[in-house]
Amino acid sequence: MRIRKASLLFFLGPALLVVALFYIIPLFLSVYISFTPMVDWNVNRYLTQFIGLQNYERLFHIVMYDPDMRAVVITTVVFVLVTLIINVFGGLLLALATYFMDEKMSATYQGLWLLPRMTPIAVYSLLWYYFFHSSGIGILNSILLKLHLIDHPIALGLDPKYLPWGAWFIIIFVNGLVGVSYGMIIFYSAFKSIPKELIIAARVDGASTTRIIKHILLPLTKWHFTFVTVWQMFSLLMTYAQTFLLVEWRVVDSTWGQTWALYVFRTAFTTTKDQGLAAAASTFLSIIGIVLGIVALKALGYEKMILEPKGDI
Amino acid sequence: MVSIRLDKVTKRFGKVVAVNNVNLEIEDGKLYVLLGPSGGGKTTTLYLIAGIYKPTSGRIYFNEKDVTDLTPAERNVGLVFQNYALYPHMKVYDNIAFPLRLRKEPKSKIDSKVHEVAKFLRIENLLDRYPHQLSGGQQQRVALARALVKEPSVLLLDEPLSNLDALLRVYIRAELKRMQQDLGITSVYVTHDQSEALAIADKIVVINKGIIQQEGTPEQIYENPRNVFVATFIGNPPMNIVKGAVLEDGTIETTGSRLTPPPAVLEKIKRLKLKNILMAFRPENAVVSEHPMEGRFSPMGDLFEVEPLGRDAVVTVTVGEFVIKVVMPTKEAMQLRIGSKVYVNIDPNTIKYFDPNTELNLEYIEA
Repeated sequence: MRIRKASLLFFLGPALLVVALFYIIPLFLSVYISFTPMVDWNVNRYLTQFIGLQNYERLFHIVMYDPDMRAVVITTVVFVLVTLIINVFGGLLLALATYFMDEKMSATYQGLWLLPRMTPIAVYSLLWYYFFHSSGIGILNSILLKLHLIDHPIALGLDPKYLPWGAWFIIIFVNGLVGVSYGMIIFYSAFKSIPKELIIAARVDGASTTRIIKHILLPLTKWHFTFVTVWQMFSLLMTYAQTFLLVEWRVVDSTWGQTWALYVFRTAFTTTKDQGLAAAASTFLSIIGIVLGIVALKALGYEKMILEPKGDI
Repeated sequence: MVSIRLDKVTKRFGKVVAVNNVNLEIEDGKLYVLLGPSGGGKTTTLYLIAGIYKPTSGRIYFNEKDVTDLTPAERNVGLVFQNYALYPHMKVYDNIAFPLRLRKEPKSKIDSKVHEVAKFLRIENLLDRYPHQLSGGQQQRVALARALVKEPSVLLLDEPLSNLDALLRVYIRAELKRMQQDLGITSVYVTHDQSEALAIADKIVVINKGIIQQEGTPEQIYENPRNVFVATFIGNPPMNIVKGAVLEDGTIETTGSRLTPPPAVLEKIKRLKLKNILMAFRPENAVVSEHPMEGRFSPMGDLFEVEPLGRDAVVTVTVGEFVIKVVMPTKEAMQLRIGSKVYVNIDPNTIKYFDPNTELNLEYIEA
């Protein structure tokens, strides 16, 4: 028994160490910092000061009374909800489209949709920086100008005339384009794992492609749907990299283009450098994420899906 | 009811010719078995009849109607797969009802039809279960029910028994045959198992390399194979093949023994100017003994092994370069000593002669 424990520790040790070092410790540190008045990374001075729930009270106060913070909350809700729908259903549509294509075509097509994911975040964001740039050299502007749809360049993500929709459109578009490929890959491989005979049988029974999708493909990939939805919801709640660059490069408005995750990052590192408040906001976001995750799994019937089979295996 | 006709049907997948210029007529109400090794083109032929594949060239007719461009649903075929292909997320009832629902038939009619076919196949008590709660044999019946509930004009079965264990297979085989006769439905049955084919078929179509090797009743196929492939594919063990040299005086010599072939065979040998000939005989048409037997063709060899299989035993004898298998009563076989010199006494009337160049049975070569 002792040998077993020793070998367990030996094999699991390295992985546990990595998890502890990069996930567990930072998590506790972050929660801990939310109870200190840390600003400007002045660790020596503030790390030992405990101020209880003061940061949370401040956060609550800001949310209640600061219109900019209200914008962050609304933007987060809109961003996560809309992008989630685009990611999940867009991914589903792409997977269906590629499933019914012939192999070669579908590989090329999927490759194209994976490009945004394979491109470094900075390069990808730079692309959209040029695309949405508010001057006449912006690709979107020059197209619209050529088509005479506008007579002078517009700042879609900045001009108060278009806010909040312009900023929302850009961050949802840019993040959605990266996100769909994830659902596409998962759903496509799920469809591919369904025995071909099932599809043939349904065809022989007279099922149209729509019927096959509705009665065979979708019901048999329920679990993948749940997984992609919950997973994408988490990553949308936490993502900020592309949006951060677009805000920093002045493509989208810093208020209406800012999600909660980005607010955390900017508060800690660029704007007020108020790490105590940022830590409180990030802890709060994590709690929201966990709650939403559990609700989503319940709503999508996760428990029913992992029930043990009743018959012989 | 429906008869099926394939007219010069070819199916290519890229460079591979899966089905090569096949002409075939399947009679109304009969059970036809497409038999051949895997990759031989039999499932492709079945899928062509079903309408899942479109032929590269050639036409397919149901009765006199050209169905080549019709979908499987329009052809009204029932298809049963080797892995049953039951929809795992639907209960048995819904699996069987699925084709009827797609036809938008009224609920009450669907219900009565599902119960009728379930009763016929004795699966009424399973209607409320999911496929994963059924045994292999039960799943097989559900698959059959789903194919039959549409009252198809043609029933197509793709290796329907291959996923069952050996014992169950023999039972269900008999049930399938009886059911097919009761319904009188034109059926095409694909298998690679020759004994299954012999047991169940009205007619067997042996297919290899996309080409029909022989078509006929099980008796014809078994007794008089058209070529060497059929001879060595059918039977367990299959036919023994021995090569012989044709001598000036019209006798055939092999491994030191001589045989005078029947006049009709001799005539064909002369006409085809054959120097060599392949002789084939069934394992049960020979007896192994220590002494040559009267009226038999008896080449000599070494007894290699005896495998008792209950009533009969398989006796393996090496005669020169040839390995010969004989099926004879175990009692007699056990008297023989392994390694001793023995005679393989072949009934000369049962020997079939093949042209070594074309591998065709001489009886099938026009005089």
